[in-house]
Amino acid sequence: MHQSLMDLWFGFGIALQPSNLMWSVFGVLIGNLIGVLPGMGALTTISMLLPLTYVIAPVPAILMLAGIFYGSQYGGAIGAILLNLPSHPPHAVTCLDGYPMTKAGRGGAALGITMMASFFAASVGIVVMIFLSPVLVQIAFKFGPAEICSIMLLGLLAGATMSRGSPLKGVAMTIFGLLCGVVGTDVISGTMRYTFDLPDLADGVELGALCMGLFGIADFLVSVNRTTVKPSDAKVSMKDMRPTRAEMKQAFWPMVRGTMVGTLFGAMPGTGPTITTFIAYALERKIAKDPSRFGKGAIEGVAAPEASAHSKTQVDFIPTLSLGIPGDAVMALILGALIIKGIQPGPQLITEHPDIFWGLVASFWIGNVLLVIMNVPMIGVWVRMLQVPYKYLYPAALFFICVGVYSTKNSLFDVGEVAVFGIIGAIFLMLDFPVSPIVLGFVLGPMLEENFRRAMLLSRGDLLVFVQRPISAWFVGASTLLIAAQVLAYARRPRLAVVNEQASLVAE
Amino acid sequence: MRRPQKLGKDHLGALLLLALGAAVFALGLGYRMGTLNRMGAGFIPVVLGVLMMGVGIALGVTAAPPGQREMVNPLPGHGTHAGGPDWRGWLCIVGGVVAFVVLGDHGGLLPATFASVFVSAMGDRHNTVKGAAVLAAILTLFCLIVFHYGLTLQLPLFQWT
Repeated sequence: MHQSLMDLWFGFGIALQPSNLMWSVFGVLIGNLIGVLPGMGALTTISMLLPLTYVIAPVPAILMLAGIFYGSQYGGAIGAILLNLPSHPPHAVTCLDGYPMTKAGRGGAALGITMMASFFAASVGIVVMIFLSPVLVQIAFKFGPAEICSIMLLGLLAGATMSRGSPLKGVAMTIFGLLCGVVGTDVISGTMRYTFDLPDLADGVELGALCMGLFGIADFLVSVNRTTVKPSDAKVSMKDMRPTRAEMKQAFWPMVRGTMVGTLFGAMPGTGPTITTFIAYALERKIAKDPSRFGKGAIEGVAAPEASAHSKTQVDFIPTLSLGIPGDAVMALILGALIIKGIQPGPQLITEHPDIFWGLVASFWIGNVLLVIMNVPMIGVWVRMLQVPYKYLYPAALFFICVGVYSTKNSLFDVGEVAVFGIIGAIFLMLDFPVSPIVLGFVLGPMLEENFRRAMLLSRGDLLVFVQRPISAWFVGASTLLIAAQVLAYARRPRLAVVNEQASLVAE
Repeated sequence: MRRPQKLGKDHLGALLLLALGAAVFALGLGYRMGTLNRMGAGFIPVVLGVLMMGVGIALGVTAAPPGQREMVNPLPGHGTHAGGPDWRGWLCIVGGVVAFVVLGDHGGLLPATFASVFVSAMGDRHNTVKGAAVLAAILTLFCLIVFHYGLTLQLPLFQWT
């Protein structure tokens, strides 16, 4: 414990270095700015700015990405509350009560509560991260290839089945992502796989191109001429953002409970943020004295899901950094960026790159303070940003995507990949497939294959090794339970139809 | 979707997965399989191809009958996904990216920028030719200042190759 505090002190030293601080501030600012724009979620924002990280050093790069992440997450809440427009799926729940509050003239208070809830939740998440990560690392050092495989399997399955809609479709998309990861030169034998004789594909599919196709272009394709975004006429000024004493009192315990839900789920690899916010909201409605207030502007319905989203965001970094298993697509992207920078995530990360880990932890706190300081005076600017019409927004974003992908490797071929993945993503979206598990599969795919092959080599081709080793058996057991639960849910589907209906309404 | 169709979305999705899985499987057989002990390059892709076909079959079997309770619950402001693609939008948006690739090679950064913004903007039915051109011009200027002079992007402003 003492050691953790010393390390944290060291982390603040790293995060407060002028150049690191500058990139962190830049990330938070730009993330917030783009996150506010209609239709621009955290994933789009991070993938658009991913190329920028290639030219800067690893520490500021990762601080910037994290800043973009929570900046855009907070920015997304603004759109959800003022415009009923969740650009990042977890905010869909926030819309349910946030938008009615705006209509009742309390939009400013809803934003104020969101800000407090997210700061409180993030702080708790950071504390958990500080004390839990070293413990997890101790366990993780016992992991061999078999254990890494099993935990990845669990993460992939959880990511696939706990996202939106049909679990089967989620699994299908995860497999598709794994297949995208196979493209390129096989590291062990040197064979070119699925490159279709294109030399540009020898190094595999470009992560940035894949993401921008799936989350940028594909989204434009299904949204163009179909969005019915009405410009917001909400006027929010600084003094509106102060919630009344009664509202604060009302929101306090939901905030604490939401934080607990988020922390709990964040520790589980693979559970997405959307499901977390949904559960936090459902919990509040369940224990409320008067559940009928929900959906009509209950402040608890804003505080709890926002708190859960932010604590989950922080806690999510634990498995991502200490095990190398990302919890969702955003974490997969951050992991991908680390790998590109030549840093292998895993138990050795904290000891080998303490500057990254502790710098990141400290920068979270700095970033969250910045968010609070920045958002109060800038709320007028954000409201105006919300009014940028989609017809100007998407061509500009498309251009930034093209230039961004090009600049990664100075390759126009990669820009072509964006178009291809855009079309693939749009087809999947139109058939109601979720696209974010693709990224999870793509990033984990090469690691999974390598560890699987190594595990098989060590066990001389005996598949039973996965259940013979205790830690691995535990993960395999959990995966089996997960599948069994899904099959059971399918068998009992008529009774669950109402729940599913609700889940699909709020989940992406 | 009220109108009864021959195939529901889930059936189409199942067919797509089957086709994809089969293609991956067939191509994967071309690489060395090896044994579990010493896996060749083809092992994992072949397994994934089979898994994909399996999921496709499972999806086809469990799919809701066409026209019945299909999930059309988009996020507000995120397109309804229903009723087929918007062809004009698709053509222009994909065309915008392709224009950037082609003109980036045969033309240079500035023509590529202008064309990609202009072409993709024309995909929105509310955009006029003039409006799209003005937007494209503004972004081209922005690109010149920020990406060329500011961040010194490698792509030359004009080139004929």
